[in-house]
Amino acid sequence: MGPADSPYAGGVFFLSIHFPTDYPFKPPKISFTTKIYHPNINANGNICLDILKDQWSPALTLSKVLLSICSLLTDANPDDPLVPEIAHIYKTDRSKYEATAREWTKKYAV
Amino acid sequence: MSSGGEEDHLYTFDENDSDSIELYESQNTSEFTIHGLATPKLITVISQGSEFDINEDEDGVDTIYEGMLDIPITKSSKRVLCEGSVPNLNYECLTTKGIFERILQRVDHLQPIFAIPSADILILLQHYDWNEERLLEVWTEKMDDLLVQLGLSTAANAKEDKDFSLHSRKVEFKDDFACVICCDSKNTETFALECGHEYCINCYRHYIQDKLHEGNIITCMDCSLALKNVDIDKVMGHASSSKLMDSSIKSFVQKHNRNYKWCPFADCKSIIHLRDTSSLPEYTRLHYSPFVKCNSSHRFCFNCGFEVHAPADCKITSAWVKKARKESENLNWVLSHTKECPKCSVNIEKNGGCNHMICSSCKYEFCWICEGPWAPHGKNFFQCTMYKNIEDSKSKNSEDVNKTLKKYTFFYRLFNEHEVSAKLDWNLGQTVGTKVHALQERIGISWIDGQFLSESLKVLNEGRTALKWSFAVAFYSDASHNLTKIFVDNQMLLANAVEFLSELLQIKNPEVIMKRKPEFYNKAGYVENRTTALMECGRELLCKGICKVME
Repeated sequence: MGPADSPYAGGVFFLSIHFPTDYPFKPPKISFTTKIYHPNINANGNICLDILKDQWSPALTLSKVLLSICSLLTDANPDDPLVPEIAHIYKTDRSKYEATAREWTKKYAV
Repeated sequence: MSSGGEEDHLYTFDENDSDSIELYESQNTSEFTIHGLATPKLITVISQGSEFDINEDEDGVDTIYEGMLDIPITKSSKRVLCEGSVPNLNYECLTTKGIFERILQRVDHLQPIFAIPSADILILLQHYDWNEERLLEVWTEKMDDLLVQLGLSTAANAKEDKDFSLHSRKVEFKDDFACVICCDSKNTETFALECGHEYCINCYRHYIQDKLHEGNIITCMDCSLALKNVDIDKVMGHASSSKLMDSSIKSFVQKHNRNYKWCPFADCKSIIHLRDTSSLPEYTRLHYSPFVKCNSSHRFCFNCGFEVHAPADCKITSAWVKKARKESENLNWVLSHTKECPKCSVNIEKNGGCNHMICSSCKYEFCWICEGPWAPHGKNFFQCTMYKNIEDSKSKNSEDVNKTLKKYTFFYRLFNEHEVSAKLDWNLGQTVGTKVHALQERIGISWIDGQFLSESLKVLNEGRTALKWSFAVAFYSDASHNLTKIFVDNQMLLANAVEFLSELLQIKNPEVIMKRKPEFYNKAGYVENRTTALMECGRELLCKGICKVME
């Protein structure tokens, strides 16, 4: 579910979670299967999140990771973008970004 | 050889070709006999053998170096004396272990300033890429923040000191411990830092093992508290922390690759540290190469990281190697699967059948084995097992090589041949040690007296490498220029000298070796002289722009 205080509110987003054989010592591979308009998530659904890469710790649980992804939806990180175009719009024209994100949510996630 | 003399020579050369080749040769030979460089030089090298280390040490102590860690170097600083006007290279050969020892010394030195345990300082240094100055800067500004940030203390630490002292860093044995990482309950050893995040030892080991090669600071799995080297060793049970330090220093070397270079030889762990790189452009300008030698006596070029490639300079070398990479795949196949038609030089692949070949382009009939005409084979087949001097036909070829590919193939073949020979020589080198030993045992000569063998081998190797790379220079040189001709003649002289010395070193009988000892001195000295001559000549080609990379 998209967080209420974000343009993704009301949408239902599906994720694919792949656990590597040496989990929990290696991070799980998580990606969006629902299309989403977000500066840190690209068209293939790949997520740019530090705890899924080098900041992974075996002590992190799946619920913590999903929580982080939720908060990523509320607060994007445009300074470390996966999709620079969206990040640019996010930084320069916030309302346009929100409108597009809402549109995508309606189109793909409702 | 003075450059002035060389120049004079060049002019005479212009007037009369064949005469001056002789003159050139004779001048070189006379230099060799008049100065009698060969024998005395070799002897000095041998007699220095035992004092060599001492000399170097003194050298190192006298000089105070600045730079990384600011410690005067007491060992293994070496000076390379290069002829001409290039400045000497002051460099040292290190290993990751050596660097770490030095870091430890520095930590001891810094301990009074920081007033925290040495292990903590090590972590701070590790975080700042072993850069002391940067660490000190940040340290004076915000000491506490830094400690928290790097997980050496927690913010809570100060307030709830008591709470923290409950947990200590140690491996404990617990019954029925439920580890949240592997979700197993079992009787196991556990480990935890002051933070109290406790996990079973297997999970901790797995975690640390994964992180060791990254070279970064390892923290607790659930918070930012850092594991110190003692903790790592406690958990892993052996000296694993040195692995972490190793990888950390490795990444340091990688980051500072202007001043630090890995020895490119396989399995060699040496690092060459050049403090002052300002002289390197000067080397390039004069077409010298900054060759360095690691403690395992591997010599390589500090600039491009290749093995010693004189007389070629770095530019020629990289162009040659690139070219070789691009074309060698094809060329190797052609060289190993085909032969040239003896008449029309077209490449022929024999894909089966008898040795009676008929060239498809010129219809010449020849024997695959001896490359001679087929006609006499019907009667006397074994004629073709006769030894044939290939060298002759090759040198003939060299004159009418005009096309680039052909030219390249030719030089590459030579280059390759000498590379193969160099490898064989290397194997030979392995036997030299035994030979020296045999000499000692059987004839009872001293170790020092037996050293002429390994010295000769060293000279042989150097000659061989110089020869090898000289073909790269020859390839890029303007073949019509007089100096190139001189260069080629020099190549031939060195090639002959090298072959002769190589032959001498094949002798297995200790008595014969001792009997022919003066010959070893002679030939080794000669090879040495020829090598320097060839290098100088090659450098002149480069300096005068006769040899350059064509795009």
